[in-house]
Amino acid sequence: MEEQEKSLSRRQKVKRVLTPVVFFVLIPLLLALGVWAFGDRSYNLIAAAVALLACVPFFVSFERRQKTSREIMVIAVMTGISVLGRFVFAPLPGFKPVTAVVIIAAISLGGEAGFIIGALSAIVSNIYFGQGPWTPFQMFSWGALGFLAGLAAKITVPDKEGGRISVMEKRWALIVAGIVGGALYSMLMDVWTVLAAEGTFGLPRYWAAVAAALPWVIVYAASNIVFLLLLTKPFVKKLERIKIKYEIFTIK
Amino acid sequence: MRKTKESKGNKGDLDFAEKRTANALYKKRAGVTESFHPVILLVYFVGMAAVTMVTLHPVLLGVSFIGAVFCTGMLTGMRKLLKSLAYSIPMLAVIAVINPMFVHKGETILFFYNNNPVTLEAILYGAAAALMIVAVFYWFKCYSIVMTSDKVIYLFGRILPRLSLVLSMTLGFVPKLKKQYKKISAAQKSMGMYASNSVTDRVLSRFRVLSALVGWALESSVETADSMSAKGYGLRGRSSYATYSWTRRDLFILVFVLLALGVLTAGMSLGAGVGFYPAFKGISAGLWDIVAYAGIAVLGLFAGLMELWENIKWRLFVSKV
Repeated sequence: MEEQEKSLSRRQKVKRVLTPVVFFVLIPLLLALGVWAFGDRSYNLIAAAVALLACVPFFVSFERRQKTSREIMVIAVMTGISVLGRFVFAPLPGFKPVTAVVIIAAISLGGEAGFIIGALSAIVSNIYFGQGPWTPFQMFSWGALGFLAGLAAKITVPDKEGGRISVMEKRWALIVAGIVGGALYSMLMDVWTVLAAEGTFGLPRYWAAVAAALPWVIVYAASNIVFLLLLTKPFVKKLERIKIKYEIFTIK
Repeated sequence: MRKTKESKGNKGDLDFAEKRTANALYKKRAGVTESFHPVILLVYFVGMAAVTMVTLHPVLLGVSFIGAVFCTGMLTGMRKLLKSLAYSIPMLAVIAVINPMFVHKGETILFFYNNNPVTLEAILYGAAAALMIVAVFYWFKCYSIVMTSDKVIYLFGRILPRLSLVLSMTLGFVPKLKKQYKKISAAQKSMGMYASNSVTDRVLSRFRVLSALVGWALESSVETADSMSAKGYGLRGRSSYATYSWTRRDLFILVFVLLALGVLTAGMSLGAGVGFYPAFKGISAGLWDIVAYAGIAVLGLFAGLMELWENIKWRLFVSKV
């Protein structure tokens, strides 16, 4: 028990130091380097590097955390499911269950696992669907959505019997999550679109890209809502069962 | 992992996915570049993509584009290359046209569109940006052909062991899950479900199968995890096996690639400047410009030429026997 606490505090220490280092030192340094070395012309490379760096604190804390092989395996399975989902629904354009599966996994397994599942889903599914400079953006977008969903699931609301349940068990919360997920994913990916087409970043161009992507946002949001409403209950039930049966993911 | 069996008789739900996987995984693997150490592949291809991403110089982009397409052609074969060019060339044209619609800077006005001037400079800028995107696209294509997942795991397994483990597990799970998905789907069909032709029914069937799959996968994965623990996963002092050895050739190639990258970077930061507005200026031939051109020519064509040379050697060897 004591040992566990010790490792917990060390983990927190590392996390506490590393996250600010990445966010407040490395990323500005990279931005400065971009301006200084390439004369402000290389937003796209710098942005891809920043997106990748933004994933680092999550990766490191995943490495440092005490995890059993069972927990690792469950994370791998959920990543596999989200990749398979992209295959299963590939004939329908824009109808990707990845966001939904990441959100559902995060609801049950926590934000950190959610980030890892989201980021790895991007890497693995792009092995089949095409790797590119957009991969870091997808990694961060899906990862961040997973992390946010994990945080949101901790908010509790009173239920009918007077107890408290996670807000994510409510239907309206899932609908909101689906819309936010679709919009956030599309808007983060539009940063890449603008950088790719322009080489530099301009707000008017960005809003134009966001407006042009609006039909896609609607498709994403609609498909997210469909997936979340249909899959959350059975998936969460199965994940909760595994969690109780094998005593995993108990510390959140 | 790579030997996903293709079911030929069963026109199941996953035919599409199957085809995509087959395309992704059964790429023609003829290349000598593949036999380079993974570190070299990472440095070379990521380096080329990065160099391409930071410049808008038409000469540098042109050479980089030719190098990338050349290398892709050598790795995938002519037919596949032409197929992908049939997609990417129109894409290039579309991106080039978008820019002048937004940007009206530049002194050479060609014509007016919606009362806005369309300038030559804006078109040139759009063309350069488009060339950059397509060149980077092809560099990444080469990268994903030669950088197989086992090499990725070999490279990052020491820095991020747990993440690499999840990655390799997931890569193993995808074909396994796909197989099981088909089994569940077939079982449900044989029970008489989804007999109707309605689209909603067919879409909903996928949800039901996916849900059943999750239950199966979670349960069986825990068994795998226990077996891993029993074999001592995560204990201190366990070594891992890798087939990649560092040879003298690798050392030469790495030194060569790093030198060329250094020369190219120097050339690019001291010369090879480019400006589009108000008037295009870029193609000059100062000392550092020529250094940059030479650097990108040597580095950009390196992988493709290595492949070509190996092909020629192979042909000569075969004809002698």
